[in-house]
Amino acid sequence: MTQEMITLPARRWSDLGTLRQSGLWRLLGNSRIQLAIAILGPILFLTIFRSMLPLPGPLQTNLQAMTQPPSLGHLFGTDRMGRDILSRTLAGVQISMFVGFAVALLALVVGLVMGTLSGFFGGVIDRIMMAITDIFLAFPSLLLAIGLVSVLGTGMIPVVLAISLSDVPRFIRLQRSMVLSLRNRAYIDAARTVKASQVWLMTRHIIPNTIAPLLVAASIAAANAILVEAGLSFLGLGIMPPEPSLGNLIRDGQSYLEQAWWISTLPGVVILMIAIGLHFLSDGIRQVLDPRSRK
Amino acid sequence: MLTYSLKRLAQLFVTVLGVVTLVFFTMRMIPGDPISAMAGDNLSGAALDQMRTQMGLNESLLMQYLTYLGSLAVLDFGNTVTTKLPIIQLILDALPVTVSIAVGTIILTVLISIPLGTLAAYMAHKGHKTLDNAITGVAMVLDLMPSFWTSLVCLLIFSLALGWFPASGTVTIDDPVQLMRRIALPVLVLSMAQIATMARITRTSVLEVLSEDYVRTARSMGWSELRVLFRHALKNAALPIVTVVGLSFGNLLNGTVIVEFIFTLPGIGNLLVGGINSRDYQMVQTLILFYALIFVIINFATDLVYRVFDPRVQF
Repeated sequence: MTQEMITLPARRWSDLGTLRQSGLWRLLGNSRIQLAIAILGPILFLTIFRSMLPLPGPLQTNLQAMTQPPSLGHLFGTDRMGRDILSRTLAGVQISMFVGFAVALLALVVGLVMGTLSGFFGGVIDRIMMAITDIFLAFPSLLLAIGLVSVLGTGMIPVVLAISLSDVPRFIRLQRSMVLSLRNRAYIDAARTVKASQVWLMTRHIIPNTIAPLLVAASIAAANAILVEAGLSFLGLGIMPPEPSLGNLIRDGQSYLEQAWWISTLPGVVILMIAIGLHFLSDGIRQVLDPRSRK
Repeated sequence: MLTYSLKRLAQLFVTVLGVVTLVFFTMRMIPGDPISAMAGDNLSGAALDQMRTQMGLNESLLMQYLTYLGSLAVLDFGNTVTTKLPIIQLILDALPVTVSIAVGTIILTVLISIPLGTLAAYMAHKGHKTLDNAITGVAMVLDLMPSFWTSLVCLLIFSLALGWFPASGTVTIDDPVQLMRRIALPVLVLSMAQIATMARITRTSVLEVLSEDYVRTARSMGWSELRVLFRHALKNAALPIVTVVGLSFGNLLNGTVIVEFIFTLPGIGNLLVGGINSRDYQMVQTLILFYALIFVIINFATDLVYRVFDPRVQF
């Protein structure tokens, strides 16, 4: 008991050091992360190695096997052009994963830089930045993305940009609020008294302490981006057919719901599983990186 | 309080102006201009030029912007490109459908999630982990289900297999029974996602309140558990819940677009998707603006309600 109370602050001070040494092990030891790996691992594995699987290509039509229900030959069935739904779903997962990763990375980097500057320097920069984020936060996220896609056009890059633009302001806000609370801590003052430069203060003393919540937010943003991309593609405003994305696969099956339930429902199950996996991942990262939630 | 409201109102005005400006200039970023995008290759150069002059697109950008602000001030949103109908009329016609869906969803959500969340909190408080975990787990899965997929699954089960609700058919506000039957599934789908969030928040805030001294006092006075739970605990936990209802309104607006599209309901979400598909930028611009305004105003109202009902919040 007493030992724990002594080691806890020490662990906090060298948090980054321990993260480098045993961070990976701590992450892998967390039950939520294990659950996330158990869900996301197989999906990722199949997606990456899908070209080696005994599956027809995602665009390959087969007029001998049109609208077939799930069977051993076609685990997810086929659509009205005889294309294998499993193969198309995996190709869609690849796009989803890319969109999720790109949006999370973009939001994280831009939010980190702008939020740090805004919170650290304050003043006019901060006020302008807050006014701009206010404007972007005035739109519900899917609707902002719909509006932007109607201007930027459809396809992968516009979709990533459109979704990021609704996430970036949230990241700026998050980072700014953390920087504001750290800015006047005693240890920052201490660093200032030994003439640490502004850049040193930001990169060495402030940013390392804000990384954990940002990473948690990023994994939530990735899950959200995957859902928004699917939503956009479903509405016919995202990734356009014949290129398969999870959203337009579901849209494809919508008109054949009565004859072929599997076209729409099975890719949806995969989206749900990815979302649940990413949810556990963010929960796990939060538990591991946040010393307060550690038991 | 009054100073605070006025200050927030001024802030709101600045945000709205920013939103209008953003929407205006974003729409001008379309490669080429709206006219050639709308007309495609069907019109000659002279005809295009005439249309541009008609819509004021040959003026300077600043003049266009000022004209736009002027027309917004008198609620003139222009006409649609294809049918030449006034956009404001179309929106006002479509609005009742969207509002019915939104209101229905809020009612259903509150009716289910608050008792559910309170129950989960009570169980957690008493140490019955299983039921609490079950409610929390189901809430998480519901929360993560993409609404368009849930819609299709519900459509498949309740409309196509069981035939309980019509999957298509006309909807007018004059025929409430038909309207109810048609929006029942959309409301159910949207509620599923909202219930998850609401139940979680209810659980957290009730759980927090349950360990307060006044709850113990109420118990020691011999009130029944139900009375303690609903009269004392829930009442004090209500504030964060109200805030979340307000803030989740954005998600609800997102959701109405999707369900209107799937269930072919003539609401403003369907107008939006239709507008994009027919490249009617005037319509898209107006609708995006409209959604943002609703969202901002609801957030503003939520903030005020919070401050009115919580005496602890300082101005």
